[in-house]
Amino acid sequence: MLEQSKIEKITSDLLRPIRLSKSFMAWMGFLGVSLVVCLGAYAMQLKDGLVVTGLGDYVSWGMYISNFVFFVATSLIGMLISAVLGLSGAKWASPLARIAEIIALAFAAVAGLVIVSDMGHPERLLNVFMYGRIQSPILWDVTVVTIYVLISALFLYIPLIPDLKICADKLDKLPPFARNIYKALSLNWSGSHEQEKIIKQLTRAIAIFIIPVALAIHTVTSWLFASTSRVGWDSTIFGPYFVTGAFVSGTAAVIIAMYFYRKNYKLEDYITLSHFDKIGKLLVLVSLIYLYFNLNEYMVPGYKMKKFDAIHLNALFTGTHALLFWSVQIFGLILPIILLVFNKMRKPLPMLVIASFVLVGAWFKRYIIVIPTMEHPFLPIQNVPLNFKVYSPTLIETLVTIAPFILVLLIITILSKVIPIISIHETIKELEEKNN
Amino acid sequence: MLRKNIPYRFVLTVILVASFYLQPFAQGWDVPADKKAKNSYIKFDKATAKEGETVYTKNCQSCHGDIGKNNSLKSLKPIPPDLSSTKSQQLTDGELFYILNTGRMIMPSFNNVLSETDRWKVISYIRSFNNSYIQVLSKTDPTKSNLVKINLSYDSINSIVRVQVTASEKAGVVALKNSEIILFANRYFGKLQIDKTLRTDNDGIALFRFTKNLPGDKSGNVELIVKVNDDKYGEILSQSKLKIGVPTDKPSLTEKRAIWNVLLKAPIWLIITYTSGVLIFGVFLLFLLYGLFRIKKSGNN
Repeated sequence: MLEQSKIEKITSDLLRPIRLSKSFMAWMGFLGVSLVVCLGAYAMQLKDGLVVTGLGDYVSWGMYISNFVFFVATSLIGMLISAVLGLSGAKWASPLARIAEIIALAFAAVAGLVIVSDMGHPERLLNVFMYGRIQSPILWDVTVVTIYVLISALFLYIPLIPDLKICADKLDKLPPFARNIYKALSLNWSGSHEQEKIIKQLTRAIAIFIIPVALAIHTVTSWLFASTSRVGWDSTIFGPYFVTGAFVSGTAAVIIAMYFYRKNYKLEDYITLSHFDKIGKLLVLVSLIYLYFNLNEYMVPGYKMKKFDAIHLNALFTGTHALLFWSVQIFGLILPIILLVFNKMRKPLPMLVIASFVLVGAWFKRYIIVIPTMEHPFLPIQNVPLNFKVYSPTLIETLVTIAPFILVLLIITILSKVIPIISIHETIKELEEKNN
Repeated sequence: MLRKNIPYRFVLTVILVASFYLQPFAQGWDVPADKKAKNSYIKFDKATAKEGETVYTKNCQSCHGDIGKNNSLKSLKPIPPDLSSTKSQQLTDGELFYILNTGRMIMPSFNNVLSETDRWKVISYIRSFNNSYIQVLSKTDPTKSNLVKINLSYDSINSIVRVQVTASEKAGVVALKNSEIILFANRYFGKLQIDKTLRTDNDGIALFRFTKNLPGDKSGNVELIVKVNDDKYGEILSQSKLKIGVPTDKPSLTEKRAIWNVLLKAPIWLIITYTSGVLIFGVFLLFLLYGLFRIKKSGNN
């Protein structure tokens, strides 16, 4: 049996962040003010319509849609870390499972809102449900995103039940209403053998089920593009191309979160250097796979240079989008792979920097996927002003694009203030197993 | 050989390019005197101008822009004028009508697109931007066209459509001689002219050669439109269905289940895939909720 003092230490360590601190208030204040500014920009868009953006007849999908793809992509990480690594018995990843799940839930939940920001008349979203056709990938997308948000929420909640009981019992200075909520959500958890069994069964079932759902969510997102015949989108590997890219941005997001949680919540004993080392290797692996898909996606049509593909690819390789295209590939993919191969680079601070580059690169990669294609339609663009042909986002559009990021940070911040971000129950159980 | 060709080709190119660019500026509208003096039988007032505005918005605005705002499509060559300009307003009603009828270069002909009444209404709208304009009404009686009768028959051996135009005057039935007459077949996206524009003979008859292979509806019916322009009786339009086309029965593209069809006619495989996906999720969700219920129940004991 584990000593009581050790259990006490783990519990108090992991419960410590759950309290209102000055820095938390300041951070929330900053996020709140920024959100108000962005919502002000959105109010202007709501009043005047999408004319306040750089979108037009030709480039009708801009930053909002690339933002949507990025959010869906990043949300896939919950499936990779909690489900795939968990099921394959990679024990090292279990302390990161909840962090990954929080990130997944936050990004997936906000992704739906990002789509709404691309609508001049958001109330017309109802038309999807009233007049939607199941032939349209847009309806599939709405369906799978909704399912994924629900499943992610349950995937976060079910393993959390024992911890909620601990929160209700052990947290002092808790207002009575909050204690009641913890109690109600912990579903009479007593730690009995039967309850343990059910939770194990449910967690395992959901870990299996979430894999096809997560694959579906991003594959369907890729089909929004690949089911058209536009250059740059008309690709048979778009599904796996998107999914592998999703793992890259998700892993980078988890690394960034790990760094700040470890530092701010003083969790050096729980999120160790070994975790950074291992997830660094994971990032190398998923980046290599993504690089391989990039090679296929660009080299094969680039070798053939079919008439319309050539216009598009030349703009990417040497033309107007070349700087962005090569920056994304080099600084967001190739250099991070090379750097992370070295032991010295798989330390918290260098990895924070590298992961930030990867994440920013991942965002611009979606920009590169969405916008240049829109600028290269099959029919020539004639007799229109320059701003119809070339997309340039406006300030309002940029602010509205930033808003979802603030929302995600708000969700993550609030969630990590009300639940322990590393499972107390699991940590104790694993220590017990080790001791036995 | 090649070398010798170059100056020749160059000169030819210069001439071609120059003539292309200079053409619009070199020529004006050559309106015959009798057409120039033509006047409208429709009174240009607020009501007809309003109706003319609707026609203008649909047919003219895309190039000529909003009248008076000088926002015509500048990328065209020649640039379509703003019709409130002095130059445009100096034209007589007859000249405007002629330009509208015939078209030239990039300006299309509206003779067969708009009815005569609609064409005059557009001019009424254009004139509403000119305060000093005073209309001279035509003495033509537009009701006279009601007296005209058009008879269609088809000679299947020679594949000729015979059209006879007569008017029942008080004095008796008279033939419309030497009137302009055009035959159209009604198609999905407009009217298809059959044969050439003809003139009626002394018996008011015109013979149109008809192509045998024109697709008709299921039973081979083709809707024919005859348009007669007569100095005395004005413009007369008549529609009739004749069984002279090739019977065509193509199924509608929205008849069968297809990707592009409405929800109720979606492909079966899609309905099955989608519905089973949602159902599987529903069942799984129930399983999870039941699991949570079991946890709670077990804690109670």
